[in-house]
Amino acid sequence: MKESNFYSDEFEQLIREKTEQYKMYPSENVWKGVHNSLHTKRKWFISSMAVLVTGILFFSGKELLGPSRSVSHKLAAAGPVSPDLLNADPTRSGQPEDNSHANFVRLHLAAPIAGSGRQPLNHLAITISHPVVSLPDLSELLSHAVQLPEEAPSLIESGGTAAIAMNKTENPGSEPGLLDSWLIRNAPDNSSAHRNAETAHNNNAESQATPNTRETAEVLPSRQTGRDAETDDVFVRGVIESLSAKGRQPIHTYGVIARNPSSRQSSVAGRIKDSAGVARASTAEIGEESDLSRVNWLHDYAVYSLPPSPSRSRLFFQLILAPTINYRDLSGGSLASAKELSGGVATPRPGDVQNWVDRTPAVGFEFGANILYRVTRNLTVKGGLQFNYSRYKMLAFTAAQSQSPPQTASASANNSNYWTAYGNRLLQDSVAAQQPIQGQNPNVPYNTVQATLYNDYYQLSAPLGFDLRILGNERLQFNIGATIQPSYLLNTDSYILSSDYTSYTKEPSAFRRWNLSGGVEAFLSYQSGPVRWQIGPEFRYQLFSTYLSGGTNPISENLKGYGIRLGITKPLP
Amino acid sequence: MTEEAILQGCLKNVATAQRELYNRYSPKMLAVCYRFAHNREDAEDMLQEGFIKVFSQIHTFQNKGAFEGWIRRIIVHTCINNLKKNKRFNESLDIVHAHGVQVREESVPSIVQAKQIVECIRILPIGYRTVLNLYAIEGYSHKEIADMLDIEESTSRSQYTRAKQMLEEILVRKKILTRPREKAEWLLAIR
Repeated sequence: MKESNFYSDEFEQLIREKTEQYKMYPSENVWKGVHNSLHTKRKWFISSMAVLVTGILFFSGKELLGPSRSVSHKLAAAGPVSPDLLNADPTRSGQPEDNSHANFVRLHLAAPIAGSGRQPLNHLAITISHPVVSLPDLSELLSHAVQLPEEAPSLIESGGTAAIAMNKTENPGSEPGLLDSWLIRNAPDNSSAHRNAETAHNNNAESQATPNTRETAEVLPSRQTGRDAETDDVFVRGVIESLSAKGRQPIHTYGVIARNPSSRQSSVAGRIKDSAGVARASTAEIGEESDLSRVNWLHDYAVYSLPPSPSRSRLFFQLILAPTINYRDLSGGSLASAKELSGGVATPRPGDVQNWVDRTPAVGFEFGANILYRVTRNLTVKGGLQFNYSRYKMLAFTAAQSQSPPQTASASANNSNYWTAYGNRLLQDSVAAQQPIQGQNPNVPYNTVQATLYNDYYQLSAPLGFDLRILGNERLQFNIGATIQPSYLLNTDSYILSSDYTSYTKEPSAFRRWNLSGGVEAFLSYQSGPVRWQIGPEFRYQLFSTYLSGGTNPISENLKGYGIRLGITKPLP
Repeated sequence: MTEEAILQGCLKNVATAQRELYNRYSPKMLAVCYRFAHNREDAEDMLQEGFIKVFSQIHTFQNKGAFEGWIRRIIVHTCINNLKKNKRFNESLDIVHAHGVQVREESVPSIVQAKQIVECIRILPIGYRTVLNLYAIEGYSHKEIADMLDIEESTSRSQYTRAKQMLEEILVRKKILTRPREKAEWLLAIR
């Protein structure tokens, strides 16, 4: 049965009237959603980003700029170094008591600097002292090197003392030692002893050895040593004043030169010199033993008291910043047929959408933090959190101020006043063909002006990937890396292209919130202390379209960006 | 608050002006959404999304035509986009050939429950319902409907014809409208 237009129109009118009378009242949640979207969304976004950035900066600054906790922590746990600890007998290490040198080493706090009352900067002073070594002990060391005349040299007088000072003062070039002076004064001028003495003096003047060492040797009568006077043992007491960095603590050493009555060959001067040399040698040997004891003590102390060196960390904290240049790839749109403005102006099929949309890149950045785990020497895996800001510009056309936009189906459907180059061309073609445009006076030419639209994208991503060392050593390296970055789009207020390529519009529901990006990078890294610095190029590509599939817009947009990545890495305790 | 004052306040993003505009137009707009949606919840979602667009694009209102018509257009497009996103509007059922109902002008009832008619419209398949809403109620042409839904104009016409036939059948079965017993007489019974 055919329907009557009259009655059909009545039916439609009836339907229209009744539906217009119908009203429904929404719940309060609807308005809350609208209000929150308009007023608090941006505040929360800014606040959350501020908290995220502040947290990353605080944590990274604390890790990168603060002292290493491992050493300071252990030192703090060890407590202050006490004098008792300093003066502890190293033989507590368990080694059997050894009278050779172990008992002769003492550490103590240096006396305050006279007049200032301040402790010297180096609080430790080493005193090496030991009692008189018994004759059998030293004789074993020196017997093979010592030959004394049968008769005591004239300078050695029983019952008296003749001081033979061998001075190696702080200014070795100032005056000859006393022994050398005596030799120079008493030995014949052309004698070898005299020459030797002078040579020895000159050598001492030139030498820079131990400027802080002053050796003094005294020849003591036997009665002072408690030895048998008839043996005419020569006791040479060498006093080594070893100076610490700031304080002065005498180091007393005693050496006994056993007389070897069998030797008659050496001259007096030579023997005295030999004696002095032996005394000097014994002093030096004792000094060497003292040094050895100090080294051994330090070694023992280091082994048993100092904290062991920390093992190499496998976990690292990294902070990265990358300025980027952002582009987009457009594809699809093959289903969109050529749309014509009202008036039937024939237009060619647009074809590749990228040929009809003008866009230019713009600057963005990436900022984030990662945790790195060194699997092997060359391979490191990483994961973290990153904030990405991408931007690009689009060239659009809009109505000149003096004119209102034409009410075309496309523009009204999209509620947009911005046309693409293609849409603007269609519009101008239509005007040129003098085809009437709905709502537009055909006799008035339609003018459009260029406008620049910006699309900003704010994303949070969680990059997961690896770094591989290709070349280099521990200090300077060349690495490559790759990441997969699940990301979440924080804003959906960007412009999108209409399905017919003619205009730009905003459609928040068309955006894909969750997306996936891939990134590759290559960088040089340099180790400076505990911190490793890196710099190198990177490339990031969004794998899925910014827009939801199956939506009103068949066009796909894939964001991509090139940048220079800067990074700072520090091991975690 | 006059409409001009509301408009100016909304342009300045003043919350009170936005609330006033929302209160003034949301009841009618929710009814519009309800005709497109599957249920009330979906309708409220469409309404919320639509008003967000209204406030974000209010600067594009050119003061040509009624403000309500401009808001209504945004709401309708939001509903359409929502349906297309969910791929709902292409569903169709077997064609029910209903006899046309012919109504005499004087027999048009003075009172017909609007809710009943709206509910009957919602019974229709989503595709039929959408075209019926856009053509018969919102006043779009078949060409504009074809552009919005990415279908051919002929498809829009055929879908509307089937939708109207089905709606008539439903109204008759629910005894909101009655078929004429005789060709010469046309009676309308009101339930």
